[in-house]
Amino acid sequence: MAYNDDLLEHARFLAQLNPTAPKQVDLRRSVSAAYYSLSHLLTTDAAQNWKNANQRYRFARLFEHSQMRSCASRIVSRPLPSDPAQVSPANDLVFVAKTFCKLQGERHTADYDGTKVWTQSEAADLIDIAEDAIAAWSRIRTRELAQDFLLDLLGSRQ
Amino acid sequence: MILPRGMAQPAELEKEIAALAPYPPGVIKVRYAVEDDWSGDPAIYFRITLSDEAARREVRRQHTRRITDYIEERLDPIRRWDLFPYFNFRSESEQAELQDKLWN
Repeated sequence: MAYNDDLLEHARFLAQLNPTAPKQVDLRRSVSAAYYSLSHLLTTDAAQNWKNANQRYRFARLFEHSQMRSCASRIVSRPLPSDPAQVSPANDLVFVAKTFCKLQGERHTADYDGTKVWTQSEAADLIDIAEDAIAAWSRIRTRELAQDFLLDLLGSRQ
Repeated sequence: MILPRGMAQPAELEKEIAALAPYPPGVIKVRYAVEDDWSGDPAIYFRITLSDEAARREVRRQHTRRITDYIEERLDPIRRWDLFPYFNFRSESEQAELQDKLWN
């Protein structure tokens, strides 16, 4: 099982602990793990394009969360392609990018906003969304638009 | 600096959101707040209370996706209001227990 799958499974495990009296620490870590599941998948996929396999872990660590967010945010707001054949994959990419932005924001709230009270439903929904985004990514990951996205996550094109 | 439309025209936004009702089945209450998110980007936070039936694990995703799509397709927060949308869902029972003012 890939590490991002482990993270998603861990998120579910934490969200379902103590069903009658969930602990905030479990729900917060669950939301965080859901974000990292998607984030890790993207950086790991990007690293697969690095020729030297021994350096891929280091390559994946080059990505910065705020830069990734900026890139994903641009994808979300750009118009869909006019070619009907490209609309479905473009929609998948927009969904992945939008989910990335959303989960990153929720992760930040979960980790740093002590005033926010989380419920199991909220955490479970975010995990579902992460799972949907991972499924969407698996449909497009080898396409050119997805590969361009991975490269753009590293930094803006000039 | 250009103020996002959703922040510059709150009354218009409120009117459009009010016009979204009736919502798809399963929605008990919808609350929203417009504020910057952690990254400083303008955002709209929807806090949606679901019926306990709609929040059941087996059907929850079907409901939350339908409701999210419903709001996004009609409001188009990013393109029309310059706001990034966040959707959070709770069950009626969870909210009854928490009595969270932001969700009431």
